[in-house]
Amino acid sequence: MATDRKAEVTWSGDLMSGAGRIDSVTSGAIGGLDVSWPARSEEPGGKTSPEELIAAAHATCFSMALSHGLGQAGNAPEELKTSATVTFQPGEGITKIALDVAGRVPGIDEAAFQEAAEQAKQNCPVSKALAGVPEISLSARLES
Amino acid sequence: MPRVQREANVTWEGNVARGSGAISAATGAFDSLPYSLATRVEKPDGKTSPEELLAAAHAACYAMSLAGELAGAGSPPEHLDVNATITLDQVEDGSHRIVASELLARARVKEMDQETLARLAQTASEGCPFTKLIDASATVTVTATLEGETDGD
Repeated sequence: MATDRKAEVTWSGDLMSGAGRIDSVTSGAIGGLDVSWPARSEEPGGKTSPEELIAAAHATCFSMALSHGLGQAGNAPEELKTSATVTFQPGEGITKIALDVAGRVPGIDEAAFQEAAEQAKQNCPVSKALAGVPEISLSARLES
Repeated sequence: MPRVQREANVTWEGNVARGSGAISAATGAFDSLPYSLATRVEKPDGKTSPEELLAAAHAACYAMSLAGELAGAGSPPEHLDVNATITLDQVEDGSHRIVASELLARARVKEMDQETLARLAQTASEGCPFTKLIDASATVTVTATLEGETDGD
């Protein structure tokens, strides 16, 4: 079954001095988010950007995939805390995504957690869609 | 230009089927957005998902790229409406894949014909970093119309 998710954006003016807004999305969870080129490429000043949204998407997808893998092995996580940092080089593109996860997972050892995290990094749908990123790094650790 | 870093933080608790989590942007632009598997692949019920966030990323990325192309051609847009629809589908092996992103743009631009807009709209997609990344795994389509001309409003 295919699932569609849509987002609507408006923009006025040229790239450097114009401004835009993420008006609405299918779920209604976000809306009215301002975007601009200076906020994207310099100091954000509280504004989101495509790269931040990609970071949010990737961290979310990775976390779900990791919970799936851990759960299949009989060790569903009590908690996962994941961050994704997207590096954007204007003029070149997105050059790196760094995933970092700390997990509280009963009944598992460090090596098994590392392996599950690596599998999640390789197999979550966002990772597959972003396979063109030159470097996707992963740092994973168990917390007690 | 110096490189730019953008970060997001998420939490997750529990197994994939019944657990849930929250998503926060380091800039503070959004915070504690809930997500779950059921709302990702079935009805969203007010909750965002990785694919919806990618749709927002793609629409914003593309709007900026198109504004840049139009301005470069001497016609900065008075107004652009852009939407992106990302499709997640189950493939043969049972896993989920992001298979498509459909971009639709309506442009209010002075002194521009439809043919020129269509050409610049395609160039803008190719110049958007996100299109470049997902091109290998998903089909990206672009449709651009001049506002007030082709669709009658």
